[in-house]
Amino acid sequence: MSIPDDDFLKTLLAAFQVEAQEHLQVMSAGLLELEKAPAASPTPDLLEDVYREAHSLKGAARAVSQTHIESLCQAMETVFAAWKRQAIQPLPADFDTLHRATDLIQQLVDVPGGIEPARLAQMVAGIEQLGSDSPRPRAPEKPEFAEPVLPATIGSDTIRVAARKLDGLILQAEEMLAVKLMASQRAGDLQELRLQFAEQLREWAKAGAGGAESESLHQFRQVEGKLLALSHSAEHDSHAISRMVDDLLDGSKELLMQPFLTLLNVLPKLVRDLSRDQAKEADLVLSGGEVEIDKRILEEMKDPLIHLVRNCIDHGIEKPDERTRHGKPSRATITVSVTQVDGNKVEIAVADDGAGIAVEKVTIAAVNHRFVSEADARQLDETTALSLMFLSGVSTAPIVTEISGRGLGLAIVREKAERLGGRVSVQTQAGKGTTFRILLPLTLATFRGTLVQAAGQPFVIPTANVERVGRVREAEIKTVANHETIALNGRAVALVRLANVLELPATSPTEGEPVWLPFVVVAAGEKRMAFGVEAVLGVQEVLVKPLGKPLVRIRNIAGATVLGSGTAVLILNVADLLQSAVKVWPVAKSAPARAVERKAVLVVEDSITSRMLLKNILESAGYQVKTAVDGLDALSKLKTEPFDGVVSDVQMPKLDGFSLTEKIRADRKLSEMPVVLVTALERPEDRERGVDVGANAYIVKSSFDQSNLLEALRRLM
Amino acid sequence: MTETENKKRILKARAQALARDPAARTTEAAIEVVEFLLATERYGIETGYVREVFPFKELTPVPSTPAFLMGIVNVRGRIIAVIDLKKFFDLPTNGLHDLHKVIILQSEEMDLGILADDVVGVRSVPVSQLQASLPTLSGIGQQYWRGVTGDRLVVLDAARILGDPKIIVQGKVDK
Repeated sequence: MSIPDDDFLKTLLAAFQVEAQEHLQVMSAGLLELEKAPAASPTPDLLEDVYREAHSLKGAARAVSQTHIESLCQAMETVFAAWKRQAIQPLPADFDTLHRATDLIQQLVDVPGGIEPARLAQMVAGIEQLGSDSPRPRAPEKPEFAEPVLPATIGSDTIRVAARKLDGLILQAEEMLAVKLMASQRAGDLQELRLQFAEQLREWAKAGAGGAESESLHQFRQVEGKLLALSHSAEHDSHAISRMVDDLLDGSKELLMQPFLTLLNVLPKLVRDLSRDQAKEADLVLSGGEVEIDKRILEEMKDPLIHLVRNCIDHGIEKPDERTRHGKPSRATITVSVTQVDGNKVEIAVADDGAGIAVEKVTIAAVNHRFVSEADARQLDETTALSLMFLSGVSTAPIVTEISGRGLGLAIVREKAERLGGRVSVQTQAGKGTTFRILLPLTLATFRGTLVQAAGQPFVIPTANVERVGRVREAEIKTVANHETIALNGRAVALVRLANVLELPATSPTEGEPVWLPFVVVAAGEKRMAFGVEAVLGVQEVLVKPLGKPLVRIRNIAGATVLGSGTAVLILNVADLLQSAVKVWPVAKSAPARAVERKAVLVVEDSITSRMLLKNILESAGYQVKTAVDGLDALSKLKTEPFDGVVSDVQMPKLDGFSLTEKIRADRKLSEMPVVLVTALERPEDRERGVDVGANAYIVKSSFDQSNLLEALRRLM
Repeated sequence: MTETENKKRILKARAQALARDPAARTTEAAIEVVEFLLATERYGIETGYVREVFPFKELTPVPSTPAFLMGIVNVRGRIIAVIDLKKFFDLPTNGLHDLHKVIILQSEEMDLGILADDVVGVRSVPVSQLQASLPTLSGIGQQYWRGVTGDRLVVLDAARILGDPKIIVQGKVDK
């Protein structure tokens, strides 16, 4: 490992301090427990814990050259080992010494190196004595160390908080987004109202110029002034809220950020041990340990990183004699560097100066496994050929052995990186070395998602997997062996309808045949496929919300997110989708008998389940259905769009079904519109009221039967 | 002054009544339930399992899931799965429901929303009043009952519902 610079050391030390705190706490607690336990009954588990903590702390201290702490831990470890072997029994007085030792370590953690060598030696000797079974005269050493130790809280500017608590807090912070959006909406509404009011006032003033009206006009002008002030302050508030919420969100995301150092720390020992085992010599150069990233990503990257570094030693670098033969320094260098790119991405590069990867061996292995045909393989450029290394789906070992190990583990590396929204690439140069690069997002919480619509419902596809978005003429969709395909850049790409893959009823096309089919080309690994959708709604930042129990795993669904409007939207699982789509999807019969003119029905219902149910019933009966959530909503829809009939609930907020019917009957244009009331009100007087206001049919919900409704509609329309 | 004294006396009597140990007031065991309506029937679920009641405004249906799973809703940033109890109990559903409320149940295992037409309120049901079953019922859904009261309130067993393996959605891609 090369000599790290000062800043790097400082970060290392800071990380060590946090870690040491934890070990010390467990040690102290363990010692106290041991002390309480009766001497006769052995407590192997407890002892084992304390022993292990001392051991870990020793290792950690060595890594940051805290030799004082190391020697103290070493001594304590010896004592615990002797106790473990039951070579000696702990005496009550022994614990005093050990507690004083942990206190001293605490002091040294807080103020590194802050002890005279003599005092340290004395303490170490004192501890070591406990572990030897020679007679132990321990009386005199006491007063020397009795001085109070600096409390641990001083100088420690980190606290440990359960991740679970943080998660809850961050969730709440994320919810503030809704507040921000609402504030901006209100400010906009107020602004609009103010403009309308001003407009009205102007017209009014023009109409009755001056005279008796001027008194009330004056009052209205005052109201206008107040409205203006209110609108301004609402806008101001909205800006302030927006800034505060953004800050809060950034801050809370930062809470989850951890330096890479915590991960890189495990590497030096790994490299040392592995290269010793294989009689190879390697220096490890680490950089970028200070770069911070979401801790959830860090946790996920641990195995891939260890795998890549292990690969470097196993297969990347050569034995010392071979290296000298090729005129290279006998010690190889492995570099692990972390760099932040583009402000929101991080690149981890794992490089060795070994023999490199023979590209032709990779292609041969891939051809043997029929991933590519021999003819195709010859035309591959180097990058594409190398990417064959990441191929998954083979669980058998040959490809691994043939190309000297790199292969199987790499599939896992790629899978992990891609699941986090990242990418993996590799570069190699014969005789010079190999570099693996993993590009990752800084935060897990958000990623870019492509919002599409299928079966009338929005879905999110991770944009990282979206190769392109486009539209194709229905006429240009050609079937190959009964499977739909489209041509893209001169190649045939399989086309499936997203709604079909998701097992959703494809919503029948509205009037006018859709000439263009929007599609999204989705790729994961080597598979790519075009998914036909109803619409591509856009690309946006998406915040992933996990689906907890009882939704342990849902086919084709990776999670959910919440749109600005508060609606929950499902995020699709691309790997599942590509697999589900492979199942044979019979080509959909082109829309049957479109000649029949479809009648348009407006369903007015405030209960969402009833609304969906009614919509489904009517749609499957061939009606074209629009919905409204209450009477007022219905009225405005009726005025702007043509309908052939209305099916309405009675009890609704804002404007109920009776009043809606009355208004329809009173409207000159709508008065002839058939209205069917579907209601929970069963009393005869309610029914009478329905007839009075002019409803054409009255269906009671408790005895609801779809044939009644369809029959009524058929009769009326 | 007598009026003030009178008031004082009444207040004191009330205070004493309230101060009495609840166990002494009702000598028998009772369970507190949230009472809700499903179509024309009344159900109750133990308050201990109810986290909150939420207006049911929007629903995102989830493909490839059992019929009883209505979909997911966003409750202040948390995604909650919502089920239709009648479908979960395999009870025939007559007529149309006006589902306006989601009752969010909570256990250590999971959070789960159940749909209700409306929530009536909280009431106490003496355990002794609960009838275990009715002879005409063939057992469908009954395994989730704690019992039915004289005024025909079905008290549900929230622990049983939340602990039922049937409720776990564990889908895979068919190969």
